[in-house]
Amino acid sequence: MAQKKISIRIDGELVGATEGMTILEAAEGAGKEIPTLCHMDGLTAVGACRLCVVEVAGIGRLLPACTTPAQDGMSVTTVSAQLTRYRRMVIELLLVERNHVCSVCVSNGHCELQSLAKSLGVSSVRYPYNYPRLPVDLSHTRFVLDHNRCVLCTRCVRVCAEVEGAHVWEVTNRGIKCRITSEMNQPWGSASSCTNCGKCVQSCPTGALIEKGFAVEEMTKRHENISALALAKGARP
Amino acid sequence: MEAAFIDQVIASRNGRPGALLAILEAVQNRHPQKYLPEATLRYIATAMKIPPARIYSVATFYALFNLKPQGEHTICICRGTACHTRGSRSLLESVRLDLGIGGGEDESPTSPDGKFTIRTVACFGQCALAPVVELDHRICGHVNERTLTREVAAIAEGHDR
Amino acid sequence: MTRILDINAFSEVRERGLAKLVPARARIAVGMGTCGRGNGAEGLYHAFAEQIDRGGADVSLASVGCLGPCSEEPLVSVRLPGRPLVILHRVQSSDVTRILHDVATGNVTPDLAYCKIEEWDHITSHIKYGAAWPELRNWDEVPFFRGQKKIVTRNCGFVDPDDLEEYMAVGGYQALYKVLIEGHPEAVIEQIKASKLRGRGGAGYLTGNKWEFLSKNKASQKYIICNADEGDPGAYMNRNEIESDPHSLIEGMIIGAYVMGATEGIVYVRAEYPLAVHRLERAIEQAREYGILGENILGRGFQFDISMVEGAGAFVCGEETALIASLEGMAGRPRPRPPFPAQKGLWGKPTNINNVETWYNIAPIVTKGAAWFTETGSTKSAGTKVFSLVGKVTNSGLVELPLGTPLKTLVYDIGEGGIAGKAIKAVQTGGPSGGCIPHEMFDTTVDYESLAQIGSIMGSGGMVVMDEDNCMVDVARFFIEFTHSESCGKCVPCRVGLDKALKILNSFTQGVATHEHFEVLEDLGRMIRDCSLCGLGQSAPNPVLTALRHFRHEFEDHIVARRCRAGVCEELVLSPCENSCPLHMNIPRFLQLYKEGKLDEAYESVVIDNPLPASTGRVCQHPCDNRCRRQTLDEAVNMRDVHRLIADSVFASDRYEELNARVVARRFQPSGRKIAVAGAGPAGLTAAYYLAMLGHDVTVYESKAEAGGMLRYVLPEYRLPKDVLRKEIQLIERMGVKFVFDTRVGFDLPLHELDDRYDAVFLSFGTWKESWVYLAGTELKGVWPALPFLEAVARQEEILLGRKVAIIGGGNAAIDSARTALRMGAEALIVYRRERKDMPAIEEETLAAEDEGAKILFLAAPHRIIGTPDGHVKALEVVKTKLGEYDSSGRRKPVPTGEIQRYECDSVILAVGEAVDMDLLQASGLKISEQKTIEIDRYSMETSRPRFFAGGDVVSGASNLSNAMGYGKKAARNIDERLMGVRRWAKLFPEFEYAQEAPVQPSESRRHHPSQLPAHERVKGVEEVVIGLTPEEAHEEACRCLRCDVKAVGGR
Repeated sequence: MAQKKISIRIDGELVGATEGMTILEAAEGAGKEIPTLCHMDGLTAVGACRLCVVEVAGIGRLLPACTTPAQDGMSVTTVSAQLTRYRRMVIELLLVERNHVCSVCVSNGHCELQSLAKSLGVSSVRYPYNYPRLPVDLSHTRFVLDHNRCVLCTRCVRVCAEVEGAHVWEVTNRGIKCRITSEMNQPWGSASSCTNCGKCVQSCPTGALIEKGFAVEEMTKRHENISALALAKGARP
Repeated sequence: MEAAFIDQVIASRNGRPGALLAILEAVQNRHPQKYLPEATLRYIATAMKIPPARIYSVATFYALFNLKPQGEHTICICRGTACHTRGSRSLLESVRLDLGIGGGEDESPTSPDGKFTIRTVACFGQCALAPVVELDHRICGHVNERTLTREVAAIAEGHDR
Repeated sequence: MTRILDINAFSEVRERGLAKLVPARARIAVGMGTCGRGNGAEGLYHAFAEQIDRGGADVSLASVGCLGPCSEEPLVSVRLPGRPLVILHRVQSSDVTRILHDVATGNVTPDLAYCKIEEWDHITSHIKYGAAWPELRNWDEVPFFRGQKKIVTRNCGFVDPDDLEEYMAVGGYQALYKVLIEGHPEAVIEQIKASKLRGRGGAGYLTGNKWEFLSKNKASQKYIICNADEGDPGAYMNRNEIESDPHSLIEGMIIGAYVMGATEGIVYVRAEYPLAVHRLERAIEQAREYGILGENILGRGFQFDISMVEGAGAFVCGEETALIASLEGMAGRPRPRPPFPAQKGLWGKPTNINNVETWYNIAPIVTKGAAWFTETGSTKSAGTKVFSLVGKVTNSGLVELPLGTPLKTLVYDIGEGGIAGKAIKAVQTGGPSGGCIPHEMFDTTVDYESLAQIGSIMGSGGMVVMDEDNCMVDVARFFIEFTHSESCGKCVPCRVGLDKALKILNSFTQGVATHEHFEVLEDLGRMIRDCSLCGLGQSAPNPVLTALRHFRHEFEDHIVARRCRAGVCEELVLSPCENSCPLHMNIPRFLQLYKEGKLDEAYESVVIDNPLPASTGRVCQHPCDNRCRRQTLDEAVNMRDVHRLIADSVFASDRYEELNARVVARRFQPSGRKIAVAGAGPAGLTAAYYLAMLGHDVTVYESKAEAGGMLRYVLPEYRLPKDVLRKEIQLIERMGVKFVFDTRVGFDLPLHELDDRYDAVFLSFGTWKESWVYLAGTELKGVWPALPFLEAVARQEEILLGRKVAIIGGGNAAIDSARTALRMGAEALIVYRRERKDMPAIEEETLAAEDEGAKILFLAAPHRIIGTPDGHVKALEVVKTKLGEYDSSGRRKPVPTGEIQRYECDSVILAVGEAVDMDLLQASGLKISEQKTIEIDRYSMETSRPRFFAGGDVVSGASNLSNAMGYGKKAARNIDERLMGVRRWAKLFPEFEYAQEAPVQPSESRRHHPSQLPAHERVKGVEEVVIGLTPEEAHEEACRCLRCDVKAVGGR
């Protein structure tokens, strides 16, 4: 692949990048943080959470930094009053969609949703909570899927399909009824295609996919090694 | 569901754009209760070398596919804009009441006696005939509560008009 | 069939087609689109086939697609050799015999003829049928077709869609042949670019640019796709295009494939269009047989084929990346762009996707050139667009218009306005991605830019018309419900945002939202629009944001007044009749009580809701009739006459005193508050009645000698006997209301004095000033403004009316004046500047006037009154009018023609309208509205002066009885709440015992009409004309009621 050098402007600052990089990669390379949730290095970027939306001069709509290719001469704004407001609203919407009760969650303190809420300054939520009745799947010998904490980032789906190759997880239904399901919507423990590798658990940003045997606040995760593995494999199509 | 039929459908369509949709549609239509049992979905997944999770995701994404057996007869009420402005919502509610079918998310759209399934469609594209109801693949236009009750009763009595 | 490999074969097939399309014998073609079939076209076709066969007639029978006017189906076109094509409409199987007979004798069937077509421009060719039958209108003289330009739908309704040869007969596949023979794909692309054709699916991207991009890509495998997943509810243009003329699509795609270098084409069509799927399949098969698809197309060495894929019920698959995902065997979830499909599309290969209608424009552009194409439409939006005009409009169907046509042309000229004379409120364009455009903005032109500017989009071309019976809050909720259920769920703003928006909209329709919700909803809407991943989410908030922008007052009504004026939102409506009644009378209740034989309770039920039932029972303009659900079966229930009989029966009985005493006994404890009411008309009387019942000390000041306002001094005796009115007012007097007559508030009694003496004041002095009309000769003797005339009659004063009276106007005052004149022995001629259906007068009154001998002259405006030398009326000159453009009232403005007519008369009565007395208004110091009435706060009804409230005609302008009473009732509630600081209103109304079930078998009887005096008897005097229903008839009416107030168990 051609490694042509380009330069783009991010928040007024001129930043060097390589052709083929996304705005997110160019920003990270220059030490600029853009909030993300569904993004995980090494996995196909899907632009689903919309947290990383940025303003690009000359383009009428907001673009997700994780999928938009950086183009030579582009001028990008990653932080503004509107962007911050919108990012807050994304978090608010996620918080009301399902049952995110931090105080009794094993990922309390080690949760990306929580950290994002803190860093974006979400102190209250303007919308009524949905309080959906969602199950917890304890059928697997080692792991648990708690739908109440899921944000449908689909990292688990992608890591299982692209890195492990087992393709156990998929998103079922549409709209607000979407759910992560294993195989043919059966208890995880009965999904014969699961290799028990645990990559999905490590990739999950919240307390939705967790390991058994951890109490409240005890569940920590690391996905950097999985990302490194994925990048090395060239798993991204 | 005969494996031979499924194999033949797959063979004729596999590799083509939209193959999976066409295969699922054909297989569902073949089933007397017009649905896709789990075993059938697994069979298709294996035969087409598609992960079962993906087949399940497709079967639940599209409104046309049923994962539960359908009633003998289908009543499909159009909920398009033109039909809505001409009262299709109350039509839907009244036929649900008549047949004892709840409208809630977790409730079955099929009547307890298995005779009727009520579905809705976003739009049939027959707006000049609003409100439109499809009864067992027959499109009826300018429907009101009275004519709908009559049609449903006729079907129930086994007189297919 | 012939495999076409050279020009000779091509011509041969074409000739064969022509021989079928325009044969040497008669040809009858039945419109067999889905709309036609839905109206019985199949049966019709078989009837023709059978009779032609049996009779051995020399007639060829064909099945064709749809010409567009869906409300005229079934359509049959008849062609006699050398004669114009005649389109017959609303044809029934019973008409077949005589149509065939006419055809055999060389005639046309005039009563079924819709229009004729003498020649037709198929764009790719031209067919001359012949000239004849001047008595039949030409197709472009039909309002539905006037202004249409058929490029996309050039062949629809003419050719048999199942016959490739007929397609070739009208020039089909010639453009393709030309392109293949010339072999210059770049030149074709230049042409498409120069034509400025924009994608017709909704986004409006320049097609030429898209094609160029793909053609430049050097990849070996490229796809072109036709997006026929027309999912917008209310839009069915693509369905008709494919059903009626599938080969145009194929031709467009082959041309596109050739110039872009693609070898495979796919048509993705909705599964909900089985006929379209079938027709296209047949067309593709035929194209292959004739060598137009497959290898070596038309012998030119180009290879290309088309396959069809049916969708599976997901609206989001109309989005191009979702469509591609669907084709790849996955859930139809959109993908981020870039990369665009032209770079990486289906299976990673370069792909071009265009909407059905875009493809249909290709052959015309190739045939006639880019310059020709840009002649139509506007600068930025060239060409035409097909629209589906549906909803509450008279003519619904598919319409093809040049882009840039104003919306009002579509709605009023082509659509011919609302149904049943209802005023159109809004048009929803672009389906769930578009917006609601209020009728004030119907001058907006329909093209990509102008609609986007007002917050809507053209989208795929759906145009849904809405009238006063549609609730815009419900409409906004409907669209969000739709997009919410079709959302793929991938991105947060759309998945969760629409869910929250739906919940907020539900709370609006239930009347429980708060003002804060407005801001939350708008904010959320903007965020969903700006942050969503694909077009579905990005445009889903449009209907809500436009509804909030243009119809905010409807949202406010729902939550502040807790009313849904359209009568749609179930939680806020007891029943459609109750909702439409300005007094919100519980009509089902009194009907049921009367049905159960409980006359006492029925009377109490009526009178607790309405203090003047004997009057309203006689003269109310009955808005309840228009909304009664019984209409869907036969006719509305005659609620007005039933409640009249209830009142009349009690008045005539010995129960009257006791029942009234019971009502009066409901009076609350004295509140210690004093309230003044100015004007003892219906508004004032009603307010006084309720305020007294609430325990307040009420004094009514009236400028005339008796109470009743217009009921006493304007409405004639034969409509409302004054002794009935007097008896009715007794109840109000017994409630403790004090009356002070011959006192004019504002003049005899200044407002500041009322301020000092009373805790609150209700102003309801009505509209007693005649509207000004500029008319020469009004100073002559014998000219009467209507109000003073009628008042003089009511006072039984001596009036010198002539023998021939001309009455100018079309409202109730005009009719009353005319009927009074007849009773005074004169002849009456009513002169009205619009048409009958535009008259504001109650229809029964107008018909009664004509029965009694009045004549009405329509489309005539007064020009001048001519007098004798000694200054007396001699004649009236009128100028004939014709109807011009639609004005904001939804009616056409009368425009004078040059023609003057003259009518001999000796009296002229001017009944052109009433207005508020401006002197009084200005002297009051109150804020005056733009309509020259007293301005009040919409919900509290307070004027600009604290503790002064107003209602009735003085606020609304000249209106009618029940509206005025409605104001009075609401004012009483508001004033009481203000004075007492708490809501006590509900406590006024007692509980009644009556059956709470909807009738399983409502009476099958038709509507009963009250008996009347015979017309010739009536004009002899002022005896009451309408005698009323008998108790048996009223009972039967009550049995006809469907009890819409009984809601299903378990809620909605």
